[in-house]
Amino acid sequence: MFEQTTGAIERDDFCSLAPIGWLHHKMQDSFFLVVGTGSCQGFLQTALGVMIFAKPRFATAVLDEDDLGGADPLDGLRPIVAAIVAEHAPKAIFLASTCTPEILKMNVAGCAAPLEAEFGVRVYPCRLDGFDAAYTQGEDHVLQAMIARSPETTEKNLVILGCLSALEEAEIRLECAQMGLPEPAFLPGESALDVPPLGPNTVLAAVHPYLQGATTFAARERGCPAHKSLFPFGPDGTRAFYETLAAAFGKTVSYAERERDAWAALAPQTAPLAGKTIVFCSDAMLELPLARTLRAAGARVPLAGTPNIYKKFHAAELATLSGVEILERPDRFALFARLSELRPDLVVANLNIANPLEGMGFAVKWSTELTFQPIHGFSGASTLFGMFAAALRRHEALAARRARDGAEGAPIDLGFFQLAGARR
Amino acid sequence: MKLALWSYQAPAHVGVSKAAASFGNVHCVVRAPKGDGYSTIMLAMFERLGVLPPLSFCGMSEATLAGAAADLPALLREIDAREHPEMIVVTRSATAAVLQEPLDGEVAMMRPGDVAAEIFMATTHPIRDTELSAFAKTTRDIVAHFAADVPRSERPSVNIIGPSLLGFHDRANVESLRKSLDVLGIEINAVVPLGATPDDLRTIGRAWVNVPTAAELAKPTLDFLRERFGTPHVEELPYGEAGTTRFLRELCALCEIPAERIALAAKDAKLLWYSRTVDAHALSSKRVAVFGLPSAAAGLARVLRDELDMEIEFVGTYVTDYGDWLRARVADITSEVLVTDDYREVRRAIDRTRPDIMFGSQMERHSASEFGVPCAVVSPPSHILNFPLGYAPFIGYDGANHIGDLVNQTQVLGLEHHLIETFGPRGQGRFAEAAPEPLAEPADAAQPGVPVAAGDGVRWDPAAERLLGRVPFFVRKKARANVEKYARERNLATIDEAVMLRAREHVGG
Repeated sequence: MFEQTTGAIERDDFCSLAPIGWLHHKMQDSFFLVVGTGSCQGFLQTALGVMIFAKPRFATAVLDEDDLGGADPLDGLRPIVAAIVAEHAPKAIFLASTCTPEILKMNVAGCAAPLEAEFGVRVYPCRLDGFDAAYTQGEDHVLQAMIARSPETTEKNLVILGCLSALEEAEIRLECAQMGLPEPAFLPGESALDVPPLGPNTVLAAVHPYLQGATTFAARERGCPAHKSLFPFGPDGTRAFYETLAAAFGKTVSYAERERDAWAALAPQTAPLAGKTIVFCSDAMLELPLARTLRAAGARVPLAGTPNIYKKFHAAELATLSGVEILERPDRFALFARLSELRPDLVVANLNIANPLEGMGFAVKWSTELTFQPIHGFSGASTLFGMFAAALRRHEALAARRARDGAEGAPIDLGFFQLAGARR
Repeated sequence: MKLALWSYQAPAHVGVSKAAASFGNVHCVVRAPKGDGYSTIMLAMFERLGVLPPLSFCGMSEATLAGAAADLPALLREIDAREHPEMIVVTRSATAAVLQEPLDGEVAMMRPGDVAAEIFMATTHPIRDTELSAFAKTTRDIVAHFAADVPRSERPSVNIIGPSLLGFHDRANVESLRKSLDVLGIEINAVVPLGATPDDLRTIGRAWVNVPTAAELAKPTLDFLRERFGTPHVEELPYGEAGTTRFLRELCALCEIPAERIALAAKDAKLLWYSRTVDAHALSSKRVAVFGLPSAAAGLARVLRDELDMEIEFVGTYVTDYGDWLRARVADITSEVLVTDDYREVRRAIDRTRPDIMFGSQMERHSASEFGVPCAVVSPPSHILNFPLGYAPFIGYDGANHIGDLVNQTQVLGLEHHLIETFGPRGQGRFAEAAPEPLAEPADAAQPGVPVAAGDGVRWDPAAERLLGRVPFFVRKKARANVEKYARERNLATIDEAVMLRAREHVGG
């Protein structure tokens, strides 16, 4: 039904501007200035919603034909930054270059230093464009820009890399205290000026699988050694994460019992997953660790699409995934073809294809939610597995009732919009 | 460079794809980076499509930056083989336009018969056109491409011009008009672009009259059809009960049929009677403002003033080249006409006039809520709430009834709001439904340093209490109860951060 007929690729993903949604919330004194076109503005407006409508701390400097003709972007940016500084008084501005400046080889990054000198506000240059493999990599670029401003150190310190909620940070802080590790610094923190010192003795642990670029950059620029662990999703990943942290400080800590307890406590959320087949479509690059922990929870994951695999950065996760077919940057229709063969109990997919997949008869879990729910650590595991359990339960309950009542609920298709028999 | 926070209109390629994808058997391809792909999400989500929309993106990647060409022919072949559309419309986003790729050349190089579909390159400008102008022009272009000479239909017939996918209550608007046209014995020849196939367009010249649902969306198509076939169109906009009657009178005259049956078509219209009932008398003291698409703003303002006797503070539109059109349409109602595409100017006007009810787009709904002004949404930019499952037209007689309900509900809600604010429990008044800044101090936070007593002797230490404040407000109560239950079950006297996290691990929340 969905066999690929030509080499054309249709992918389902969105733009790296999206992480501005959570990053500007996390760093309350930040402002995100996007240099781009009406497309960028439109994306921010529609995708990031209107909850921060009144006084959004992000905006687009829309390029006009002068800019496209090669005018110095600094001239255009000066009055815009002046207005932002006057109205919002941010502590730091993230100056984001997008697809159009990249295509035009416009030196947006070069404007950061003169703007910072002129307005006395830190300006981080970063690239947030549609050329990444996954939209979550926008966060990777922002963190890389912050790392570039980190003080250098030779101290043995601990830095947790990746945007987390206060709940998730609290768990990590408590566990580190219990293990006798130094108090962790978090990047990003609550201020856009909070950049912890980094150096060759720093233990820099990324909590998201989409932070390969920032991790590599820190290794290159500050000599931070690689932290090789599973990502802290689910009790199995969280155990590995903490044990590896302890090891990095020369301590041997066993979280075996803690993991066992956690799985026992999670029974209400994991029992409904046992034996169920769950397939991931490619979305936020969270697919590999989530596939791993869902398998540990008893689900079958025969197939996971993912936007990109970093063989070294994802090595620990990949090692756990034997028997899982992994499709890197899959074509939409190639993936559909595999889905119709596998007929999984649940498909994890983004908004592009979620409703159409339901229309094709699959049970769908909306994947974007996974990027903004607090699902890390032991304390986030019930939220994590609960989302999958709830999606399965809802689908099964509704399907059973529809079958009982003989009422299927036909999907809306395009014929629905044609004025049936307009001409009579 | 121009600083843009929020805008009323999307970029041009969105207008092209909205128009092209709305036609039957027509597929649209947009050459763009993936951020622009969000319009497929809007289509699939807002219209709740259970199929993939007829809209594809020919994506740009790192390879594009390095100079790799768009693989447009491969994508066209793929769509052709999979969907068998009669036409594929190709356009590019502003970002893609900067690349100045020779897309036309790539298509021209394709072998004849390589794809069965006709390939049509959109004529709009990715930067200079707006969503609206691109929509209107593309609709015209596709109509003009297929239009052929045909004899006029035997019975009177009309083309309805304007409704589309992602349009504002458009399916219901068409249905509302169809009910009246049925009673009058007027046939619908085509609805453009919503669902009109190339076959429908080849015979578009059969119609006696064209009926625009919004002047600004239909104008280029109306002009084309008048020039090509001499088809006249109705000038009156079918807003309100009296407005619909005027509209149908004009239509009957153009169709050369007697106007008597209009009364039959109006038999379920209740707006003018509602306006006479005691319930509605107070409307005369209400001041209102209207802002949105030009046709919606003009139509609504006339209903509110002429049929409900409300006082108009201002009327406005964000389609700046329709400012004069709007001024002329509402000249007898108000001289306060606001023409701007800057939402902040509209917000200032709302603040200055503080109308009793604002009628606007989702943008005005947000602005009005800042000032406690109730707002009814009557124009795009839309929200998924503007894609109701049920029947909620804005035009025709049924639309008039709906407008009456909307006025009624919005002001009753406004009164309720006032009562809640005045008499409601503290902390639940003003905009209890609006999300506070998630990182703000919680309303139920403890005094610093003072342990908070929970039920049954469980105490919260300040750090745990602060952490609880970080739980989203809408689940905070449940989370508090869960944690306290967890603590009681384990005989813990004090809830600290560790207990809270453990509890979360066990009971969620």
